[in-house]
Amino acid sequence: MAKAFRASAGIMLAPAVTLIGVFVLLPMLLTIWLSFQDWSTQTPFSEASFVGLGNFHEIFGPTSVGRDFKTALLNTAIYTALSVVLILPLSVVFGLLVYQREVAGGTALRTVLFSTYMVPMIAVALVWSKLYAPSEGPLNQLLGLVGIGPQPWLSSPRSALISIVLLNVWQQVGYFTVLAIAGLTQIPGSLYEAATLDGANGREQFRFITLPLLRRTLLFSAVIAIINAVQVFEPVALITQGGPVGSSNVLTYHIRRVGIERAQGGLGSAMAVMLMLSLIVCVSALFAFVNRKDSE
Amino acid sequence: MSAAARSLSRKRPSGRKALLATAMLLVAVASAFPLAWMVLSSLKTPAETMQVPPVWIPRTPTLEAYEKVAGVVNVERSMWNSLVIATVTTAGILVTSMMAGYAFAKYSFPGRSLLFSVLIATMFLPPIVTLIPLYRMVGSIGLSASLAGIIVPNLANAFGIFLMRQFIAGVPDDLIDAARMDGASELLILFKIVAPSVAPAIAALALFAFVYHWNSYLWPLTVLQGNADAYPIVISLSRLLSYNRGAVNTGLVMAGATLAVLPPLVLFVFLQRFFVDSIVGSAIKG
Repeated sequence: MAKAFRASAGIMLAPAVTLIGVFVLLPMLLTIWLSFQDWSTQTPFSEASFVGLGNFHEIFGPTSVGRDFKTALLNTAIYTALSVVLILPLSVVFGLLVYQREVAGGTALRTVLFSTYMVPMIAVALVWSKLYAPSEGPLNQLLGLVGIGPQPWLSSPRSALISIVLLNVWQQVGYFTVLAIAGLTQIPGSLYEAATLDGANGREQFRFITLPLLRRTLLFSAVIAIINAVQVFEPVALITQGGPVGSSNVLTYHIRRVGIERAQGGLGSAMAVMLMLSLIVCVSALFAFVNRKDSE
Repeated sequence: MSAAARSLSRKRPSGRKALLATAMLLVAVASAFPLAWMVLSSLKTPAETMQVPPVWIPRTPTLEAYEKVAGVVNVERSMWNSLVIATVTTAGILVTSMMAGYAFAKYSFPGRSLLFSVLIATMFLPPIVTLIPLYRMVGSIGLSASLAGIIVPNLANAFGIFLMRQFIAGVPDDLIDAARMDGASELLILFKIVAPSVAPAIAALALFAFVYHWNSYLWPLTVLQGNADAYPIVISLSRLLSYNRGAVNTGLVMAGATLAVLPPLVLFVFLQRFFVDSIVGSAIKG
């Protein structure tokens, strides 16, 4: 019987394991291998020649290759940090608005918020490029109504990246709101009842019950938000092309430009390895931070 | 309902309620505004889209912009390509995820938890990390510039396996054992007995996969290398912006965006229950 199940397990696992092995794990290992090679993406893998840490020296070096990569790495870090810092608090606030039962309409609000997550990023980018239009765009018009002058949005090096963060937050916050609601439903109501009896007010209850018990949810949200943020591509590829003056050049866009369009496969792979390492470091640091808080 | 809400509402109930309602309305408006603006602008005349201050509601709604989109890109062909890509990919993901999810949930075999961890780790891998070698691999097996090149590498994914394992684990073993006693094969048990009892999770996975692959842009753009016949709608759409830069094409862009947004949004509106439940399920159980 056990032997028969082992055979069935093999059959059941074969399709998924083969596909993920060939199309995800193998290319991941190839990326690591290629990062130590001089290789043009237009040639077979067999043409690659070993250069040790040469690619890494170059992408962190003083030439234009190094400058561009370091800018893209920094931009991605800023973009990711801003996205997480905006999305997490908003998701908790919106989650509380949906979850409360004093005013009707929570479920309708959830539907509206989550619907933006269904919209293809390319459509988001197109629509927001028009919302941000300097003169005829509605955002500057609305700001004018409350007495704020027109903003350059995507056309200035100082605001292009943050403008893309904002459209990303708009698109994704609904998904994280649903995660926050899932976390809120896990908090036992008896805790609030006890706190009320002890005379804790709403703010104290939020600080000492809601927030600590949402920590696991927020950790999960932060990890997903980071992974999503480093994938930003469409608005940059479509609207800013990384500009003005490199101010919105982010890693997914830059790695594709170097590794596919310029066919510098070795350099692009080294950049991809750095991205992977940065992610591992960030996520591990987050887990360590939350675990230390837990043991306090 | 929540005791916190009840205790809070005891003080100054009416002012608090007004504040809450206003906050909810503001959030809803901010969230809905860009899409409302998109649809409204797609119905404007070219002159209206350029007007300053902007025209909020078109005076005489017109489908002119939609006709123009059809003149610039092959809308029917692109929508068909998107439909093929999303449907075939989703079907593949469903089959591979159910099979693997069943194995992880109901069999014990050596290396099970290690294999599961390795597969789940790929869920957190941004696609750009594998893009360069994958592009070369797909090219060297002759699949580049084709729909097959877009579809084949995506026929299985870790999220689907994870979701299916979570839900299939909850199916009672007795149900499966009874079918085995009757001599049913494992595949038959999976598709005839296990699948119906996790139908909502399968629906959720189908919707997620469909929307994700309908919307997906980076991989199709990379693998197609300019073969316009195979463009999904999101790539055709991106060409509308370069077709005629500036305000003149606003209506055109908005009409194109509306067309691309409709299928996933309609699916969501009708089936949002499944989406929300499965996110909640995967977050809590995970």
